[in-house]
Amino acid sequence: MAPISFSFLKVLGLGAVASLVLVACGGGGGGGSTLAADQTLKFPILGDFGTLDPAQLNAESDSEIAQNVFNGLVKFDNDLNIVPDIASAMPTVSSDGLTYTFKLRNDVTFSNGDKVTSADVLYSWNRAAAEQGAYAGNLAAINGYAKVSANTVTSGAPLEALLEKNDPSVTLSGLSAPDPQTVVVKLSSQAGWFLSAIALEATTGMLVDKNVVKTDFDNWWTKPETMVGTGAYKMTAYVPKQSVEFTAVDNWWGSPKPTVKKVHVDILGNAASAIQAYEQGSYDLYGYGGYSNAPVDQILRIQGTANEKSQLLIHPKVRTTWIQFNLVHDAKRAAAGPFLLSGGDKAKNLRLAFALAIDKTKLATVVCHDIVCAPATGGLITKGLIGYAGDNTDPLAKFDAAQAKQLLDQNGGAAAVAGLSYTYDPNNPLNGSVAQFVQDQWQTNLGVHVDLTPVDHSAFIKGYLSGKYVLARNGWQADYNHPQDWYDNLWGSIPGCPDANCGSGYDTQAYDQLTAKADAEPLAQAIPDYQKLGKMLQDDVTYIPLYYSQGAFLFKPYLKGAGTNNFFDYYWDQIQILSH
Amino acid sequence: MFTKGTLIYIAQRLVLIGFTVVAVSSVVFVGIHRLPGDALLSERLRGQAYQLLVHHYGLDQPLIVQYWNFAVGVITRGDLGESLVNRGLKITPLVLHELGVSAEVGGLALVFTIGLGLVLGVFAAVRQNTWLDYVLTTTSVVGYSMPNFVIAAFLILVFGVWLQNVTGGTFFYQLGGWRGDFGQLWLPAFALGFPYASIVARLTRASMLEVIRQDYIRTARAKGLRERVIIVRHALRNALIPVITILAPLVIGIITGSVVIENFFGIPGLGKEFAQSILNRDYAIVIGVFTMYAAMVGLANLLVDLAYVVIDPRIRY
Amino acid sequence: MATAAVVVDAQPIAPEQVSLWSDAWRRLRRNRLALVATIFLTFLVVVALVSLVWTPYRMSEIGVTQTYAPPSSAHLLGADELGRDLLSRLMVGAQVSLVVGVGTQLLVLAVGVPIGLLAGYYRGWLDSVVSFIINVFYGIPDILVAMIMVFLLGPSLRNIIIAIVVTRWMDMARLVRGQAFSLREREFIEAARAAGARPLKMLFGHLFPNALGPIIVQATLGIPAAILFEAFLSFLGVGVQPPTPSWGSMANEGVAAIQYAPHMVIAPSIALSLTLMAFNFLGDGLRDALDPRSRR
Repeated sequence: MAPISFSFLKVLGLGAVASLVLVACGGGGGGGSTLAADQTLKFPILGDFGTLDPAQLNAESDSEIAQNVFNGLVKFDNDLNIVPDIASAMPTVSSDGLTYTFKLRNDVTFSNGDKVTSADVLYSWNRAAAEQGAYAGNLAAINGYAKVSANTVTSGAPLEALLEKNDPSVTLSGLSAPDPQTVVVKLSSQAGWFLSAIALEATTGMLVDKNVVKTDFDNWWTKPETMVGTGAYKMTAYVPKQSVEFTAVDNWWGSPKPTVKKVHVDILGNAASAIQAYEQGSYDLYGYGGYSNAPVDQILRIQGTANEKSQLLIHPKVRTTWIQFNLVHDAKRAAAGPFLLSGGDKAKNLRLAFALAIDKTKLATVVCHDIVCAPATGGLITKGLIGYAGDNTDPLAKFDAAQAKQLLDQNGGAAAVAGLSYTYDPNNPLNGSVAQFVQDQWQTNLGVHVDLTPVDHSAFIKGYLSGKYVLARNGWQADYNHPQDWYDNLWGSIPGCPDANCGSGYDTQAYDQLTAKADAEPLAQAIPDYQKLGKMLQDDVTYIPLYYSQGAFLFKPYLKGAGTNNFFDYYWDQIQILSH
Repeated sequence: MFTKGTLIYIAQRLVLIGFTVVAVSSVVFVGIHRLPGDALLSERLRGQAYQLLVHHYGLDQPLIVQYWNFAVGVITRGDLGESLVNRGLKITPLVLHELGVSAEVGGLALVFTIGLGLVLGVFAAVRQNTWLDYVLTTTSVVGYSMPNFVIAAFLILVFGVWLQNVTGGTFFYQLGGWRGDFGQLWLPAFALGFPYASIVARLTRASMLEVIRQDYIRTARAKGLRERVIIVRHALRNALIPVITILAPLVIGIITGSVVIENFFGIPGLGKEFAQSILNRDYAIVIGVFTMYAAMVGLANLLVDLAYVVIDPRIRY
Repeated sequence: MATAAVVVDAQPIAPEQVSLWSDAWRRLRRNRLALVATIFLTFLVVVALVSLVWTPYRMSEIGVTQTYAPPSSAHLLGADELGRDLLSRLMVGAQVSLVVGVGTQLLVLAVGVPIGLLAGYYRGWLDSVVSFIINVFYGIPDILVAMIMVFLLGPSLRNIIIAIVVTRWMDMARLVRGQAFSLREREFIEAARAAGARPLKMLFGHLFPNALGPIIVQATLGIPAAILFEAFLSFLGVGVQPPTPSWGSMANEGVAAIQYAPHMVIAPSIALSLTLMAFNFLGDGLRDALDPRSRR
């Protein structure tokens, strides 16, 4: 009886080995000094964006992409100075500080060839103000904003119709365009922050092309044919939740002229696989697009890997993370909970109990290894920014388990806070660990069990801005170095609290009055008032401060010009891919 | 081959499948729509704009009407609706594209399963009670006892971490263009298929052992046919029949197992979409993907039953 | 003359009469794999019981040691990404797995056995209806339904058990139906019927005990399937909620850090695999022991 040959198995085995060898080893030598032939930049992001429409944008993960597609009259350069962009020079300001006159360049075009004129500025800003997106407040200093922001038609074909006929309800009276290259802006009161606000990349100060917007008023940005801006790049492909591609605009009017011809962005599920793909050579950098968060174990590993260590950049980001309480419950805010402002002192003490029960120092050590975050002890404005209150000045940053327990027991005990859930977005790898940490702290130090609810990033942002969650993660990355950026966007009636664009719902008359005062003053004079606002938030126990974070980036050695400052990624048109 | 009886049977089964899909998806539909909170996640829509959007999605109509519209849409136009989170995104093309990706991984897994399973089962049977048999038998129990993500994790550990210098790194990533990229697909497909390969191996071994003892095999040997010919031409074909029995649960197992594997490897298929949409609270996609899965499972069952007719001429419906 | 009565030691000519159960027990004892499996499972139960009152460290205590710490003498299995002791979490995870495994099977027995008995014994329209329902349920993709159910009802141990039972009761029902089907033709059932036995007694007093063998095998083999199911759900994030550890969610956390701290994924993976293997070997052993045809 002839034995069965083992040829089958041999072939199988060989086949397996062969396929292993076929797996490409990533590239990875250092850069030469000549440009690579293929100027395609590839990088991953960890979640699909919510929107790229400048009028609606509200998250860093959206703006870091959109900033390469849209421009405004002025912009921030890499060193955070405000410089002209579509404007040919910095505006002339009247002596009373109320009138800004901008002269536009005459060579600016949209990526579809449409020429940019002052009419486009008016259209874009009116539309942004009328839509009342999260950053509509950037235009709040302009005369007529109060009326436009009160209009009830905020999206879709009806708004488009109103804009077409320049209906007064959606027209900022302070804007005028005496000729196609000039825009005159009249402010309702002095606002030292006005230029910073309209310079803010990717948001309401940016110009959109009326001709494409009207083809699909709300969703024009989702399709490459209509995703049109003045930037160096235009969208050429978009597979939702999978990938998006941008191509450099030919003969772009701006500078530096883009070297990178194509930018391919993959939307991946998790950071670990994104970093591994980077190491394999599938991506040129990691951390762009608003996802400069690497899991701590990856950072530790890379720091321990000789030839990779130099590719890792840990950079301060002006970013603070805290826990928000739901403070208001009304017809438009679904969440209620035991922490409402209307609950008076009892609710306040419960909030304080929850705040004091968390050991923020331990959080920074255990969850962040003291590498990617530091405890937020000086108020919510990140350390290093104007308006930072000073180390250890925030009473809510203290850790006092005994007092926390006492406060809880005296104000209703565990029964008063039963059935709570803390909501967070798991896309950023730190958030899950932080969630488990605070859950454990509340359990250990207060004896209160809080469930954890993960919600995907864009759904989460929409949810917490519309008051769906009683306890949720909140965070803010500063847009520019001015306290107004924080106080006007997170609390009070300017962003729309309590009912829209507002995490906690916090809005008091005192807050609004003081904010209005501070916003009108020149910065030096305003700082003490802003500090008072910070103290107001602390006295009312409106948040639990957690940490200031650092961003983690990986750059291949053959990239030139890629990088980041505290606020935003460097623009793509500055990047060059060297041969490797 | 397909007699009138068989055709009637097919028709009955299709009706059953239709009924199941409708019943199950309607239960899911109702369940999801009763969730508290606003399906639209409206954050800044007020007044008229909000009403417009609600009307666009038909959320202002009674549940029955909503379901009827959905069902009619699916049956007549194959339209599974529109995403709630990414407005304007049509679900059917998204799901079909992802189905292709999942089918690729699943198909490869099926090939591994049947190929590897048959080969190992035959070897174990032919070399019964030798060390090879014991090794293979134990491996197969281990194989179907391990969750597929454990197998995947172990493979990544071995090939991706410990053998990094040989293979160049781990395997969990996703490049644009999954199609036909065997180098990326073999590991997930293997992890997905191995538990089922183990089951197939056991079954094949058992049925081969029975068949080998049969008289007609002895006759063939007596006739002087080579052993290999006997095994392949006579024994195997008959031993396959019980394997077909489990083909249906096997295919379904691969379909559902792919949910875990896709999420593990970040493969942009239906399974990942499903889990993602639940996390995203995009109920329209959840219902759409689920309906598609229910239909696939039903069809898989039917196709396997029909395969029986082809393989075994004695079977008639 | 009277012959003295000689007492002869009477050797029985027929083999000793043994009941199915003692015969099965004897054969099971001889199956070494099944024996090892049983020992392991007993050990697991002990560990789970012990963990109810004691674990080396509090299982949800964060930062009890350095995060990602590899195994050491103080922490036999190392620590996870939040510095929690893995051994303690593994022990508590055993509770979850066992509760899910056994709990689902008990419910499946409660649901599937009566349905199967009724359908198989009475046949007719009842059987048609039950068979139809069973076929409908088989057409459902189980993991997806379970995910949706858990998502809708809220992730908790109870809801996971319900979700698993809802998607997997049919295996037991179908088996019992088949058993009832074939048993109803036997003489002892005829006899019982002739004696006027009431339906309840018929089903549970006569049919059920005779089908008990395959039922036990099915239930035993159903346990690892349920544990596996729960591990899948936890791995996908819809399993038991933190801080309760489940081997599946521990494996999920371990996979994320696989390059830096492989011990995190190894521990729960091995625990899961050994437990599932043990139940499978035991189930196989029971099946071989109880199968009247495979006499050796």
